[in-house]
Amino acid sequence: MTALGTSGTLHLKSLTKRYGAFTAVDNVDLQIQRGEFLTLLGPSGSGKTTILMMLAGFQDITSGDILLDGRSIVQTPAEKRNFGMVFQGYALFPHMSVRENIAYPLSVRKRPKAEIDARVGEMLELVRLTDFAHRLPNEMSGGQQQRVALARALCFAPPVLLLDEPLGALDKKLRVEVQAQLKDIHQRVGTTFVYVTHDQEEALSMSDRIVILQQGRIEQLGTPSDLYQRPRTAFAASFLGKSNFLHRDGATYALRPEKIDLSPAGKGSNANLVSGTVLSVTYFGSQLKYQIAVPGMEAVEVDVDAWRGGGTMAVGADVDLSWADAAAVRLDE
Amino acid sequence: MKPSAPVRLNAALAWVLLVFLVAPALVAIPVSLTPERFLSFPSGELSLRHYEKLFGSPEWMSSFWQSAVIGTASTALATAIGTLCAIGLWRVSSKAGEMVRAVLLLPLVIPPIIAAMAFYRLFVPLGLIDSYPGLILAHTVLSAPLVLITVSASLAGFDARLEQASRNLGASNWTTMRRVILPGIRPGVLAGAVFAFISSWDEIVVTLFLSKFTVYTLPRRMWNGIRENTDPTVAAAAVVLMAVTLAAFAIWVLAQRQGRSTHQETASER
Repeated sequence: MTALGTSGTLHLKSLTKRYGAFTAVDNVDLQIQRGEFLTLLGPSGSGKTTILMMLAGFQDITSGDILLDGRSIVQTPAEKRNFGMVFQGYALFPHMSVRENIAYPLSVRKRPKAEIDARVGEMLELVRLTDFAHRLPNEMSGGQQQRVALARALCFAPPVLLLDEPLGALDKKLRVEVQAQLKDIHQRVGTTFVYVTHDQEEALSMSDRIVILQQGRIEQLGTPSDLYQRPRTAFAASFLGKSNFLHRDGATYALRPEKIDLSPAGKGSNANLVSGTVLSVTYFGSQLKYQIAVPGMEAVEVDVDAWRGGGTMAVGADVDLSWADAAAVRLDE
Repeated sequence: MKPSAPVRLNAALAWVLLVFLVAPALVAIPVSLTPERFLSFPSGELSLRHYEKLFGSPEWMSSFWQSAVIGTASTALATAIGTLCAIGLWRVSSKAGEMVRAVLLLPLVIPPIIAAMAFYRLFVPLGLIDSYPGLILAHTVLSAPLVLITVSASLAGFDARLEQASRNLGASNWTTMRRVILPGIRPGVLAGAVFAFISSWDEIVVTLFLSKFTVYTLPRRMWNGIRENTDPTVAAAAVVLMAVTLAAFAIWVLAQRQGRSTHQETASER
């Protein structure tokens, strides 16, 4: 089943949404490639959901344009856009079985019954729910419902799939499992995924590229490792992972907690070296997380792999902090 | 554990109130069983003669069917209109929409006698006096707000994302309403229909103004029966009227319960 001659390249041009005096989305320019897994990452109120709702056609745009394969779709009503969507809370039809839910987009398109049956069977297999076809949504776990929602949204082979915090309702352990499944399904169907989340781990683990949004603007755009290794702003450095901030020579530098070496006072060996005392230490199994008081700085966070040994520094101990030149990333003003 | 004194007092009060509300209506039952030819409580002997007379009388039976036809037709219209209005106002959900809602609910607030006069003034030039369409129309106007209220209550608990999901999956507004919204608000629609039927079934004030000879509903005939003579057949008719009302209510309750239990059956299947 081909997706009605569209390939799924999205182009957002100066996209803006205002509610009265409040600007929810401010002049966003973004190219989304065919088959890409793109994540809109930001805190609540950053405009990420508004962008998704405008893509889906549930919200008018104030100005700008949205192009799908070069053609504007802003005048196209939601039901004609052919974009799949996985809603927050899934929005499964409670009175329909799993099979009926997944068949819905095909049956409203009046496809022949044989084709619907075959396609629904395929989708059930894709999300591994073949044995659950006759259940009602409320008889299934959150993770299973999430897969039904995914199957329903992909059933009509949309060129673009929009996902609105689809893992928000799942517990943490399940979330990691579902992330892997989602990524796997994305690779198999080859559909463009636009994924909205406020969870940095989700963003890092699944995305081809991440857009960090703040107050309706794009803060930074790049691959997960790009953004993590080379954040350009203090917001990007602290929202995606944790960072310590150093102020040197009138500039600000971001320094990841795991890139700092911790050693007993006098044993530090690096060009960049400061001394401090241990404020607190917390054991996390794989890591020890230290808070170090350094004169003239905010408390510095340092992560140390627990297996490296060397023992735990006691609270109150004097320590040296050091790091390689490349570890400190200079931020834009 | 024994319930405490205040709890028992509360329960007793509730029962007294219930009897106070229901007893006057129940009085019709013994009166309808009197062997006498005038309205009275039966003393000792009971008789079904007034029921025989009721069901044997072409006039009473005709009124019975007329009420049924008018009740059914106005219920169908009021349910359709009330449901569509409720869905429309829910989808628009704006200040202007709330104004419209207030206007639509006016028939509930306006005293029936004033509504009756208004209908009369309007229907005379239209030639709708003493006709089925006239009464059906009037009863529809009076009962549609009841449907609007019950359906709006159902919609308040309806997840708006389901509607978005349906449209996102390619369904037109009409398909979305038929396949997603209506199944979701079925209890409200059904409740509205039952209330609409009951309100038409025992409506008298407006009916008095709008009917003459051709249309003669059950309440209308009872009204005349009680004014012109003290024939206990009226009491028998009152019992039948209440029975049908209760039946309508029972159907609704059963339907609600059925909906729930089929749900559970499918749940326990595996």
